[in-house]
Amino acid sequence: MSSTREPRILAIDAGGTMTDTFIIDQDGGFVVGKAQTTPDDESQGFLRSSEDALSYWGMSVEDAFSSLATGIYSGTAMINRILERKGRKVGVIVSLGMEDYFRLERGVQSYLGYSYSDRLHVCTHQHRPPLVPRHLVRGVSERIDVFGDAAIPIDEDGARRAVNTLLDEGVEAICVNFMFSYRNPAHELQMKEIAEDAVRERGVDVPVTIASDHYSIRGDFPRLNTLVADAIAAEPSRRHLRSIDERAKDHGAEFDLRIMASHGGTISIESRELARTLVSGPIGGVIGAKWLADRIGVENVFCTDIGGTSFDLAIITGGEYDVKPYPDMAGMLLAIPMVELDSVGEGTGSFVRVNPTSGRIEIGPDSAGYRIGTSWPEGGIDIPTINDCDLVLGLLNPDYFLGGDITLDKDRAIAAIEEQVAAPLGIDVYRAAAGVVELFEEGLKNNVLSRIMGKGYVPLNYTLLSYGGGGPLHVGGISKGMGFESVLVPAWAAGFSAFGCSCSEFEYRFDASLDMPILPDITTDEKEGVTEMIDGQCAFLREKVIEEFARSGFCEDEIRFRIFLRMQYMGQLRDLEVRTDYEWLESAAALDDVIAGFEELYAKVYALSARSPELGYLITVAVISGTVEVEKPELPTEPLQGTSPPGDAHKGKRDVYWRGEWVEADIWEMEELKAGNRLTGLSIVESPATTLVVPPGASTYLDENRIFHLEPGEEG
Amino acid sequence: MTDFLPRGKGRFAEEYRPAGWDGMTLKEMLERSEELFSETGRYWGVSRLEMKEDDPIRYEKLFAKLRGGLVNARETAMNVSASPIVQEIGELCFALYTPEGDSVALSTGIIVHVHTMSDAIKFMVRNDYEENPRISPGDIFSNNIPKIGDVHNADVQTFVPIFWEDELIGWAGGVTHVTDIGASTPGNVPVGPITSYEDGLDLTANKIGENDVVFRDHEIRCEMGVRTPMFWKLDERCRIAGCHMVRDAVERTIADDGIDTYKQFIREAIEEGRRSFIEKIKELLIPGKYFAPTFQDIPMKGEKGLPEYAAVDSVSHAPLELTVGAAGEFHISFDGANKWGYHSFNCPPSAMQGAIWVLLTQTMIPNDKVNDGAYFATTHEFPPYTLANPTDKEAATGAAWGYLIPAFTGLIRCISRGCFSRGYVEEVLSSYAMTMNAMQGGGKDQYGNDTGILSFELSCVGGGARGVTDGLDYGAAMWNPEGDMGDMEVWELIIPFLYLGRSVKPSTAGMGKYRGGSGFQSTYCVWKTDDLVMQNAGDGNTFPSPGIYGGYPSASGYRHNVLGANMPERFRKHLPHPTREDDPADSEISRCCDGEHLFDTRTLNYPYRMEHGDIYYSWYRGGGGLGDPLEREVPMIEEDLNGDYILPRYAESVYGVALEKDAEGFWSIDAAATEQRRQEMREERGNRAVPTREFLAAERGKITGGEIDGVIRRMYNQSFELSTRWGKWFKEFWDLPEEFRFQDEE
Repeated sequence: MSSTREPRILAIDAGGTMTDTFIIDQDGGFVVGKAQTTPDDESQGFLRSSEDALSYWGMSVEDAFSSLATGIYSGTAMINRILERKGRKVGVIVSLGMEDYFRLERGVQSYLGYSYSDRLHVCTHQHRPPLVPRHLVRGVSERIDVFGDAAIPIDEDGARRAVNTLLDEGVEAICVNFMFSYRNPAHELQMKEIAEDAVRERGVDVPVTIASDHYSIRGDFPRLNTLVADAIAAEPSRRHLRSIDERAKDHGAEFDLRIMASHGGTISIESRELARTLVSGPIGGVIGAKWLADRIGVENVFCTDIGGTSFDLAIITGGEYDVKPYPDMAGMLLAIPMVELDSVGEGTGSFVRVNPTSGRIEIGPDSAGYRIGTSWPEGGIDIPTINDCDLVLGLLNPDYFLGGDITLDKDRAIAAIEEQVAAPLGIDVYRAAAGVVELFEEGLKNNVLSRIMGKGYVPLNYTLLSYGGGGPLHVGGISKGMGFESVLVPAWAAGFSAFGCSCSEFEYRFDASLDMPILPDITTDEKEGVTEMIDGQCAFLREKVIEEFARSGFCEDEIRFRIFLRMQYMGQLRDLEVRTDYEWLESAAALDDVIAGFEELYAKVYALSARSPELGYLITVAVISGTVEVEKPELPTEPLQGTSPPGDAHKGKRDVYWRGEWVEADIWEMEELKAGNRLTGLSIVESPATTLVVPPGASTYLDENRIFHLEPGEEG
Repeated sequence: MTDFLPRGKGRFAEEYRPAGWDGMTLKEMLERSEELFSETGRYWGVSRLEMKEDDPIRYEKLFAKLRGGLVNARETAMNVSASPIVQEIGELCFALYTPEGDSVALSTGIIVHVHTMSDAIKFMVRNDYEENPRISPGDIFSNNIPKIGDVHNADVQTFVPIFWEDELIGWAGGVTHVTDIGASTPGNVPVGPITSYEDGLDLTANKIGENDVVFRDHEIRCEMGVRTPMFWKLDERCRIAGCHMVRDAVERTIADDGIDTYKQFIREAIEEGRRSFIEKIKELLIPGKYFAPTFQDIPMKGEKGLPEYAAVDSVSHAPLELTVGAAGEFHISFDGANKWGYHSFNCPPSAMQGAIWVLLTQTMIPNDKVNDGAYFATTHEFPPYTLANPTDKEAATGAAWGYLIPAFTGLIRCISRGCFSRGYVEEVLSSYAMTMNAMQGGGKDQYGNDTGILSFELSCVGGGARGVTDGLDYGAAMWNPEGDMGDMEVWELIIPFLYLGRSVKPSTAGMGKYRGGSGFQSTYCVWKTDDLVMQNAGDGNTFPSPGIYGGYPSASGYRHNVLGANMPERFRKHLPHPTREDDPADSEISRCCDGEHLFDTRTLNYPYRMEHGDIYYSWYRGGGGLGDPLEREVPMIEEDLNGDYILPRYAESVYGVALEKDAEGFWSIDAAATEQRRQEMREERGNRAVPTREFLAAERGKITGGEIDGVIRRMYNQSFELSTRWGKWFKEFWDLPEEFRFQDEE
C-alpha cells in the first residue's frame, strides 16, 4: 500500500496540550496523529505527531515528507503569549494625551468572553493587566482630524524625546499609532523616520512599526491592540514556525510552511503581519465547509461544530462565508478581518445543574473541557456534564471513548445525575438525562434557527454540516424537525477543522478604511470619480499583496486580485461586505453592480423593510484579496458497494434510553462501513474520535466521499 | 357596544370583536388578572406550576425558544439602527408581553425596560384602544411618554400586537434610546425643558401604522420634530424589524407547541418568575428595614434664558427605604421625597421601576429568566406630587435620569448590607459612580448638518468598591452593566470635537479599605463647527455616591470649560495645549489656555454657545469607597499613587501615609512612619469623639438654629408637606415639635 501512496498535504493544529497532524494523500485518504505539544520547541511535538499519523500508513517521516506539496499550521501559541503577557518588550508611541490607552482599555474589554449572566453581574467585571505597561507608552503632540487634516503639527523634538526615552528603557520594538492615521499617515511616517534615525544613531536593532502601514483601519484602540500584539507575540512565534519549517525540511520536505490567518486564507510564515493569524484554529472548519460545498455542488451550508466547551456556528451563503471587521480574541478587540464564527458556550463538557432557588435546569456556561465529566474519575470532576448524560443514556460506549484510551465509569455518572439533577427535579435519572440532552439540543437548535432566520432564510435553503467531536452524536437531535435541505456528517468529523485548514487558499487580504460617500442623487460622472478613488486605494493595497507574495517567490502575474467593498447606508455604523470579481472597478457600471450587490445582501441579512436607499451609501472599507494557485486536498472517493454493511462492521447491540423508553440499538464500527451502505435508526456508529447517532425512524447513507447523509424519517 | 357609541364615529361605530381570550376584551382580561392577583397573591391565581413541575424539560424548551427569538431580534435589528448609542452601546431591548401587558421574557440589552413597556401596553388597554383606534393584526403603536410608561422621553418604544387566529395572544415590544427627541434644548437627556410642553416629540401610545406599514404622516411628523431625522428613521425601522421578528418567533412556537400550551406557559412563566424572585430575596437578604437617602443639587439660580420661577437652586431628596419581609416581601418606598420642580429631572413611577430592575438584574438576579413575575413580587410607594412621582401633567421628564441615578445608589447600599449580613461578601458593592458629566449639546456638526450630541463615553464610569476588592475602574454605567467608552475615532466621526486627551482622572474614586472604581477624563477642542451650544450635566455640590462601612464618597463634580480659547492659534505656534486636568488646584487647562474659564461647580447648566477652538473638559465620576481608609494596605496605596489614581495630598490626609518621591518621580511609602501616623490619626479620632447624645444635640442645634442652607430648608419643608408620616419620623428622631418647619428662605 505504502509503495503507491503519495502524501500530499500536511495540516498541523498545535493546541495548548496536544498537537494534531492531519495528513492527506493523493486520493483524499487521510490519517490523524497526536502528540503532546512541546512549548519550548514546538517542532519536536510536530515531528512526533507526524510520526504518529504516518505510522497508520506504515510510512516514515522521510518517506512521506518529500512528496508533500503543502504544509499548513494553526495553533494557539501566539495567543497564549498574549494572554500570559509574555513576549517582546514593546514601547508604544501615541497621540499626546492618550498614553492611558492600555489602562483604560475599552470598558467592553472588562467582560469580553463572559457568559450572559456574568456580563450582567457587574461585580464580576475586571480589567486585565495592561498589554503594555504605562511606563512604556509615550505621547507625542500631534493630531490629524477626521477629515485627514493636520490639526496639530507634530512636535519633532517631543517625538525624538519619546523614542530616546523608550530606547533608554531597553524596548525591543516600537509601535506608533496616531489618531486618524488611516485618513492621513503623514504624522506616522514622520514619526517613523525620526524613530529610525534615533535607532540608527544608537546602533541598536529595534524595529519601528506604524499603524497606517499595517492596519489602515478606523478604530484607534482595536488598531493599536493589533499592531502591538504583532510586535509582542509575532516574532517569537515566527521563530517557532521557522523551526517547524526547518525541521520538516531536514526530513525531506520541500514545501514552505504556511499559516492559517483569521480572514480564512493562509499566509506565509514570513508574512509581515503575523497578528493576522492570532485567531486561526476554529475557523478551519468553516474553510473546510466552503471547500466541501464547492466540491459537492452546494451553495448554502450551515456549519456546526460541537466541541467539549463550545458550539461554533457559521453560515456559508452563495458559497461565501461572512467576515467581521472587528473580532475579539483573548479579551482584546482587534482590527483584522475574521471569518464570522459565533461561539456559544455550550459543549459536550458543559456542566448540568439545577438552580437551588428556582428549581430550573442550567447548562453551562462553564465546562469540564477535556476532563469529560464525572464518568472519568481521573478528571476530578464532581458535577455532571452532557457527556455524562450521553453515557448514561447508552449513546456513548464507556469502553470506546477516544478509541478506548480512556474508560468511562457509567455508575459514577448515574449517581451524580441522580443526586444533582433527577432528585431535585423529582424525576427518574434516565428521564432527567434524556431531558437534559433534549434541552441541550433544543438550545443549539434555537441558535441555529435564529442565525438562519436572522439572515432572512429558512433551513430548507441550507445544508447542515456537522463536525467536531460531539457533532455527530447530537446532529440527529439538532436537525430534527428543522427541514434542512440535507444533513451531512463527514466520517472525519473529529478532525474536520484541521482538515479545513488544508483546504484554504494561499491568500493575502488587506483592508483600508475609505469612508467614501455615494449620495442618492449621484451622477454618472461622479460615480466615475468614486471608482477612480476606490481604484486608487486598491492600488496601494495591491502593492502590499504583491510584496507579500514576493516573499514566497510568486510574481504579480500569478496572483488573482479581487476587490471587496464594505458598505452601509449613509449614517449607519455597521457595514456589510460586498464581494466582487473586479480586479479594478474602472467604470460607473461597476459601481452600479456593487450597489445592486449591497441592496441584495442587505435585504437578505436584515428585513426588507429596513432598506434605506434614499439615504445614500457609504463605502467604509476597500479590500483587496490576492490568491495564488496551491494544491488542495481531493475528496476521498471509494467505489460504491451494496446498501448492506459488511458483517464485521456490526459490533453488536446495546440498550439505549430514547425519548422515554429503552430501545435496542445496533452498534457499528465506522471504519468498517463501505461507501453505499445504508443504516436505519436506532443505530450508533462508533469511531475512535466520534460517535454518530442515527435516531429511530431516521436512516443514514454513506456516500462515495465517506460523508454520511442523515435522512429524517416520517416524524422529523 | 355599538348602541352606546355616539353618532359620527365613522368606522369605529362598527361593532368589533373583542381581541382577548374567550370572548373577553383586553380590558376585561387586565381587570380579571388584577382581581385574581389581589385575591390570591398569585399571577392569574395560578396555584400549581403544572407544566414546570410535570414536564420541566418542555417548560425550559419553550422558554428557550421564546427568549431565543427575542435575543435574535435584538442582535439582527441592532444592525439596522444608525445611532451610536444603539450600535456602539447597545441601547435597545425587545420583550414579549401577555395580552394584558405583562412581560414574559426579555432580550439582552437595556433591562431597565423590563416593566416600562408593560405600563404603556396597559395604558392602551385601559383606554379602550381595542375599540378606538382598534387593535388589529399588522398594527404598529409607539410611545415615549414616561407618565404613560417609559424612563425618559428619548427612550422610544414600538409595539406590535401578536394574533393567533382571532385572538390577541401577546405583544412584541421594542425600545431604543434615540439621539435627539426634539426638546427645547438638544440631546437625549435634555436639561433645558422646564415643563412637559418642552420635552419634545410626544408619542402618547399612538397607532403609527397598519398592515406592517408605518403611516406616512407619522414619519413626517417625527422627522420634522427631531434634530436628527436620519437616526430617528433608522431607529424606528430597527424597532419595527425587531418586533416583527419577535412576532415570527412566537408564531413559530405556537405552530410547534399549540396555542393552549403557549397560553398556559406564559402565565406559569410569570408566576414562576414571581416565586423565584421571592426565593432569591429570602436567600440573599436579612429581613428588616434599610434606609439609604441620597441628595443631588440642581443649581439653576441665575441661569439666563429661564423664567424666574425656574431659575432657582434646589436639591432633590431621595429617601429610599427598603423593607424586606420574612416571607420574601420586598418593598421600596420613597415616602418623604420632595416636590417635583420646573426642570426636566422629574421621575414618573415607570422610570422608577426601570431603575429598580436595571439594578436588581446587575446584582441579585443576573440571569436571562427575569420577567414581570419579579415585578409582581415587589411593592413600592412613590408618593404623588414628588420628584419620584410627578403627577402634574406639566412636570417635564426629559432627563428623569437626573433623579434616578443618584436616588438608586441607595438601593445598592441597602442590598449590599443585606448580602453582607448573610455572608455574601463578594456581592457587596458601595455606591456606583454617577454617569456624569453628561456632555450634551447640539447645532451643526463638522459636516454642516443639524446634530444633537450626547457622548456615551459616560457609560464607562467607576464601579462601587467591592466587598473583597477595589471597584471596577472606568467600566460600567448604572443603567448598563456592559459599559464601554467607545473609540475616540468613532466619536470624532459624529461629534465636532477634537480629542486632546483621554486618561485616568486621579482622586475621583471614594477612598476606603477598598477604593471605588476610578473615573477618567477627556479633554476636547471644539472643532470645525460654526454653530454649537453645549452644556454640562452632573453633580457639583453634593455627594450622590456615598461610601459604605466607613468608606469615603467619591469626588463631587466641577466643570472647567474655556470659551474664546483659540486653540488653533496655540497649535500653530507650537505652544503647549492641555491634555488633562489631573489636579484642579494645579491645572494644565488653566496654564495652557487663554480665554474665559468656566471653572466652577455649576455642573448643570443651560446650553451656551461654544466656538471652534474652545476647550470642553469632561470628566467621568468614580465609585464610592468601602471600609476605613486607615485599613487600606500600603502597597495598594503605592499603586494608587504611581498609577495616578489618587492625588498625593489625599493619600497623606486620608490614608495617613508617609510619602517619599524618588528622582524618577516614583512614589514610595514608609511603612513604619505610616503605621505611626495612622496610630496618631486613630488617637485624634478618639479625641474628637463625643457621646452620641452630644453629637445629636449639636446637630439638632444646627436644625433649630438656622445654620442650614435655605435650599436644604426648602427641600425638607417640601418633604414635610408631602408626607406627614415621613415628617413625623424625622421630627421624632430630632426631637422636634410636631408643628416644626424650617425657616422659609428669604
